[in-house]
Amino acid sequence: MNTAEKLEKSKMENTIPTKDRIIAWPRMGRIDIPLKALLLSLGAKIVIPPANSNEALEIGVRNSIEGICLPYKLNLANYIMALEKGANTLMMFQAPGSCRLGNYTKMAQKTLKSMGYKFDMVIFDMYKSKMKQTLQAFWHVTHCINPWRYYKGFSLGFNKFFAIDTAERLLFYTRPRELHRGDAERCYEKWLKITDETNSVIGAKRLKKQIINDFKKIPIDKNKKVPIIYLIGEFFVLLDPYTNQNIEKELGEMGVEVQRQIMFGDWLEHVLKPSLFYHKESHRERSVRYAEKYMKRAIGGECIETIGDTVYAARHGVDGIIHISPFSCMPEIVAQNILPKVSKEEDIPVMSLVLDEQTGKAGYITRIEAFVDLVKRKQQKRNNN
Amino acid sequence: MTMYKKYKQIGIPRAISYYNNYPFYYGFFTSLGLEVVLSDKTTTKTINEGTKYVVSDTCLPIKVYTGHVVNLINKGCDAIFVPSIQSTGYKINNCSKIRGLPEIIRNVIDKPFTMIEPTLDKTENISFKDFCFQTANALGITDSDEIEKAISDGWKVYNAFFEMTKSGVSYTEALENAIQGKFVRKTVGIVKPLSVAIMAHGYNLFDDRISLNLIKKLEKMDVRVYTSLNVTREDSLAAIDQIGEIQYWANELELTGTAAYYLLNKKVDGIIALSAFGCGPDSLMVDEISYHCKEVGMPLIHLTIDEHTGEAGFVTRIEAFVDMLMRKKRSVLAKPSAQKQKTVKVSNVGKFEETKVLASSVK
Ligand code: SF4
Ligand code: SF4
Repeated sequence: MNTAEKLEKSKMENTIPTKDRIIAWPRMGRIDIPLKALLLSLGAKIVIPPANSNEALEIGVRNSIEGICLPYKLNLANYIMALEKGANTLMMFQAPGSCRLGNYTKMAQKTLKSMGYKFDMVIFDMYKSKMKQTLQAFWHVTHCINPWRYYKGFSLGFNKFFAIDTAERLLFYTRPRELHRGDAERCYEKWLKITDETNSVIGAKRLKKQIINDFKKIPIDKNKKVPIIYLIGEFFVLLDPYTNQNIEKELGEMGVEVQRQIMFGDWLEHVLKPSLFYHKESHRERSVRYAEKYMKRAIGGECIETIGDTVYAARHGVDGIIHISPFSCMPEIVAQNILPKVSKEEDIPVMSLVLDEQTGKAGYITRIEAFVDLVKRKQQKRNNN
Repeated sequence: MTMYKKYKQIGIPRAISYYNNYPFYYGFFTSLGLEVVLSDKTTTKTINEGTKYVVSDTCLPIKVYTGHVVNLINKGCDAIFVPSIQSTGYKINNCSKIRGLPEIIRNVIDKPFTMIEPTLDKTENISFKDFCFQTANALGITDSDEIEKAISDGWKVYNAFFEMTKSGVSYTEALENAIQGKFVRKTVGIVKPLSVAIMAHGYNLFDDRISLNLIKKLEKMDVRVYTSLNVTREDSLAAIDQIGEIQYWANELELTGTAAYYLLNKKVDGIIALSAFGCGPDSLMVDEISYHCKEVGMPLIHLTIDEHTGEAGFVTRIEAFVDMLMRKKRSVLAKPSAQKQKTVKVSNVGKFEETKVLASSVK
């Protein structure tokens, strides 16, 4: 067996009978809502580990080596907590960046086995147009053969992803403009709950419109001059509010409109839809195009997206960039080295924040505040001219 | 033969891929009629210079690399070779920082020079030959016969170099001889009481400033040192396979491969892992090997270095490790029965025909 075959085979372990499978996956933002809908539609039993927290981080840190990145530590903790709750099939998603992630799975597998857990690990490669492999992996864990259930599961899943993305975007827009603090947040939470509880395809398809209408009802100050800050960086820390210490909320409350460049639904649509049906320019493609002056090649992780987004932002009237990444993240260290030049030449303020287990909240907020002040001053100057 | 050459010189930073591929680079560029200019050996000044340009979280070898590029620019080199070695096999990638060397250099150094930045990316079907053609084309050389010949000249120097190191000739000596077209063999050395294998990137281990002369220090303590240069690519791959791992990183052979090879053939009393502080790939590879070491009771020490690592503390750690190995060896020799119990399955690693000798990180 050659290396590539071995690698493929190790991606789908098969020691547990399908009917006994209890499935779990790592936590990241709210991907649990759509995934739950999908798997339940396929007739699977699932366990959802508690959301990321200090406790989870502690478990992760205790069971992993020092030099490894933060996302791994949390993923591992999610697995441990899920296994403790009875899970026996662990799903893992490998993003397209092909960084340390591939190695992670191997390591998590070994660590968990040496801790005495019995389980199967099933790996989903989320590269370009991987619909077929994804279906195979879902078939592998559920053995569901009913096409209607697949249809239902995937429509529910996709529509819920889009609903959550819509709610998030509206939250980012409304929060800095709302007249009564907390309105937007409450509306968002409400819709997350409804999205989670929706169980029919028709209902799920309606969600997006309903969410838009509901957010419209929140009283806002339409004339307020709100600076726009792009949030960019490493995939996991961007999407996980625990790890990024809810930076979106902090910024919103400081009167800033956040625009996060990686939205789960967009990304998923791009990686799963066969390229035949995908006509929009993907985020990656746009990034490659805009980063060209600074980067001639992608180098793993989200580095080229980071650079491309910064240039894009500068040329589209965005006021500032906050770049976040986990400590010792290799692609983002490259990005940190490139950003000062981009910031200077494209004339846009950029701040890089590195997150690790010890990141203290107070110092973190102070830095964000100082940056927001700078961005606001710059925006004012521009408005006066 | 092309009549007109755009550049007369090519500058090669004495860092990163230099330590794996320089014999090839030398043969290749010389054959193309270019004068090869090397940056000066790494000193503390090189490190300080590099540190000025990159963010502080960047690992030491990249700071050093940047320092070398600056050194070449100061020497007046106008074409500098900064390759991007993305992957050396299908989905066998390098660390992002090595993949992105030209991206870093382009954006941190604000001085005029031409960067020759070929890409090697087997995942995307860009072969080593393509890599060489890109290089030559960027230098204004387009005659494919001339380039093909340069490639084979490059391999000649490389293979001579590797034949020498494999037989035990030191890195520096083999390099000097290979470049002069000479060939030396190691005269059988005195048997030393202890042997260790070092798992480390060539750019860390063979850079005397970065490694703080680790090899020489060990030799002074009467320890025989084995490195990735003593193991063929085939043996290295076989060893990784045999311990049940899968090659993931492009430079895994220098680390996991070398360690696994010596772990299996039991020629050594201990393993030393040397890596830069904050290195992502190394933290994973060393962890993997330490797991296998524990299983068979092979001592392992992990030394991490950065620009602030002090010589004294470093020496103390090595000495303590060597002492421990010595005590262990004595006690085992005193009780031969104990040794038998510890014996693991003897492997057939090392029996492979040494057919082709190729650069571990390029081909
Ligand atoms: S992108 Fe960063 S955080 Fe993600 S695996 Fe790579 S080094 Fe770790
Ligand atoms: S492999 Fe490690 S030492 Fe080498 S460039 Fe990457 S992080 Fe730095």
